[in-house]
Amino acid sequence: MAAYDVNGTAVEHDEEGYITNLSDWTPELADVIAKAEEIEMDDERWAVVNFLREYYEEYQIAPAVRVLIKAIKKSMGPEVGNNKYMYELFPYGPAKQACKIAGLPKPTGCV
Amino acid sequence: MISTVYAVLFYVATVLLIVGTGMKVLKYARTPILLKIPVSPAPRTKRGVVLRMLREVLFFESLFKSNKWIWIFAYLFHYGMALVLLRHLRYFTDPVWWWVALIQPFGILAGFAMFAGLGGLMARRIFQPRIRYISNPSDYLMLALLMLIVFSGYSMKFLAHTDIIALKAYMLGLMRFQIGDLPTTLPLLVHLASVATLMIIFPISKLMHAPGLFFAPSRTMVDNARDKRFVSKWARNLPPLPEGIPTSEEG
Amino acid sequence: MAPLDKKADDDKFMDNPFVIPPLECGASLDTDTFKAYPEHNEALGFPGELLDNWKEVAIAKMGELAKRNRAFQVYLDTCVKCGACTDKCQYFLGTADPKNMPVARQDLLRSVYRRYYTFAGKYFPWLVGARDLTKEVLDEWYTYYHQCSQCRRCSVACPYGIDTAEISMAAREILDSVGVGQKYCNEIIAKLKKTGNNLGLNPKALAATLEDLEEDLEDETGVAVKIPLDVKGADILLITPSADFFAEPHIDGLLGYAKVFHSAGVSWTLSSYASEAANFGMFIGSYENMREVSWRIRQAAKDLGVKRIIFGECGHAWRVAYSFLNTLAGPFDFLDQNYPIPQHILEFTLDEIESGRLKIDKSRNDEFVMTYHDSCNVARGSAMGDKEGGQFDVPRAVIKAVCNNFHDMERDTIRENTFCCGGGGGLLTDDLMDLRIKGAKPRMTALKQVSDNHGVNKMAAICAICKTQFAKVMPKYGFEMDTIMSVHQLVANAVILDGQESDEAEEPTAEETP
Repeated sequence: MAAYDVNGTAVEHDEEGYITNLSDWTPELADVIAKAEEIEMDDERWAVVNFLREYYEEYQIAPAVRVLIKAIKKSMGPEVGNNKYMYELFPYGPAKQACKIAGLPKPTGCV
Repeated sequence: MISTVYAVLFYVATVLLIVGTGMKVLKYARTPILLKIPVSPAPRTKRGVVLRMLREVLFFESLFKSNKWIWIFAYLFHYGMALVLLRHLRYFTDPVWWWVALIQPFGILAGFAMFAGLGGLMARRIFQPRIRYISNPSDYLMLALLMLIVFSGYSMKFLAHTDIIALKAYMLGLMRFQIGDLPTTLPLLVHLASVATLMIIFPISKLMHAPGLFFAPSRTMVDNARDKRFVSKWARNLPPLPEGIPTSEEG
Repeated sequence: MAPLDKKADDDKFMDNPFVIPPLECGASLDTDTFKAYPEHNEALGFPGELLDNWKEVAIAKMGELAKRNRAFQVYLDTCVKCGACTDKCQYFLGTADPKNMPVARQDLLRSVYRRYYTFAGKYFPWLVGARDLTKEVLDEWYTYYHQCSQCRRCSVACPYGIDTAEISMAAREILDSVGVGQKYCNEIIAKLKKTGNNLGLNPKALAATLEDLEEDLEDETGVAVKIPLDVKGADILLITPSADFFAEPHIDGLLGYAKVFHSAGVSWTLSSYASEAANFGMFIGSYENMREVSWRIRQAAKDLGVKRIIFGECGHAWRVAYSFLNTLAGPFDFLDQNYPIPQHILEFTLDEIESGRLKIDKSRNDEFVMTYHDSCNVARGSAMGDKEGGQFDVPRAVIKAVCNNFHDMERDTIRENTFCCGGGGGLLTDDLMDLRIKGAKPRMTALKQVSDNHGVNKMAAICAICKTQFAKVMPKYGFEMDTIMSVHQLVANAVILDGQESDEAEEPTAEETP
């Protein structure tokens, strides 16, 4: 299986780039995944990633996009907390791409 | 000698056609249908299904909606052939039934329609890249065989005249298991041999589409799954599933 | 990782939705979908990995299916290669690969069936195009049977009703039975068996999500609209795709159902045990898995003691519900027989609208000029209402009741001739994005036509797959991702709840209050 290289340590991921062992996640890894996704991490993106991780910690699943946006709206204001902007931050979708960077499993189903 | 060979050929062909097709049809009928899978536009009643199938058989409705060229050629061919076959009843009936006598001239014309339809289908198979892509040798040969049947049939009328009276006597004889004398003109021998070939390959080829049409669940099922529970005989033997919710899984 | 859908960015519209491309052999040969891991396959009762004796097992399975399933048997025998279906598949129109022509897709399997199970194929293989089963053939099956969305558009066109979906389902079952499963479908079914839904949403997370949505509803309307979960003794059990708890615009549909139920004053509930309408067992052609997934709905209905079952907006789920549920999980003699079992949410909503119980302000949707995409499995594998064609007319009746502007797309792209969205049948996965974009081409072209000619700016659908697929694919064709809407999103916009704080001047609705 393929792996991300975080300062010389290999972190395994699946065919789509989601890490296979969720406890492997570190903030440094997030930067590496983001780079592979052609994304530069900034405060706004970190706010999303951190919220996803907190939510996952509590519920063992990623939040609905709407729930995510509402939370970001609360913490970062409506300019950031809206659907359109989320897709600017994560062009392949806040659900899938942001989850990948946050080290969460990929949401499956008709989503 | 030739009379006997052809007699045997026809007996064998007839048996194979009837038994072979009968066995296939029985197999279709006995194979369970697993689920309700009528395809739109699906009738809600049995009567609706009968009407739907009538429209399919009489007008080739689905084909008409999906491809006009194939429809024209297929229609000319199939209904031409139907008339031609009915016309041929005169060789097997004595006295000839009145309506068979009546359709004789139309039957002759219908042969041309049949040939034109076959020609059109053959041309599409050769020249239309999509259809050429999906064609196997047998697909061409089947059309060629049918065209040969028509061609040899017309040859008897227009090229090398055949003694039809003698032929009819031979055929009526065969039906009473008496082998008479078959006129041995080449077109007739070709005609009869190719017809026998068609009869023989019928049950082991795509010609089974004719009876198969009536066994396609997508067209023959009534769209009433909510009103009437349908369970296939295969599914009745499946192990039962638990009725309650397992507690370990309950949130 | 490079984005998966890069190569399709320059795809353009067709001149019309029916333009037939010149054949390009092998055009989508290397479009493959990820294979399932052993644990996914095993959870479904299949071998984890490719068996050593896969060839014998596959051939035997093929024979077994032909014996068990009349559709499969008859469809293998009766094709005359007339070619009427060759231009009907959206994946052929989109990819130009001749193996995506329905008959050619069937022939991938038919050729092998002939070799081992027919007289002609056994003794004259060259004559009838019969071929041996080899590893290459198996790979080819995997590739092209995962480029079929089982939408049945070709079956409508076929003079013998041959349904490629049946062949494709059988092919996938054969593949599964030798240990070659598709990751997308099998992972999801395995997840459903564990958590009750495709998403893997556990009851705690589901409850939290619903609470959050209730808050939104109250903020929006000022009315405490509930989205009940696991309420024993409720009248109605709502079974809806888990995407309705997660994705956009699906969630708006869910809010719509909640408003309709609230207005109707009925008691209803969701179930955390059967929190999924979708049934991917159908996609992989596995009767046993489909039955197991369906059975959860029966269990939940009994456990909660409901009287009715209603399904939310989900395309193939409605096919399984309408056409198969009674077979797979019936008889439902414990439910109220005065209502259809199961009922579609659109049937319920239309009843409410027609009876005048639902208060509607159509003008609230005036910014939208709507069209409607008939979801393939609803259109060709199910029905609604009690009249033939109800599956086409009921959704349109609801849309027209809540919207002033509606235009249908080109006739041969809707109703029983509708194109699949391009993501159905287990293809709604990122690894098939290229195929999904190409498969959506005819639909996107038809949408462009009504958009140009009638100013259509939104398209509604009643399928979770369609909604996700279009939200992803529309931007590739220059439409905003929110061009796709849930039908109940429109309903939600237009419905006026009793006691709702109106944002506009209230028309005389006072007569309604007793």
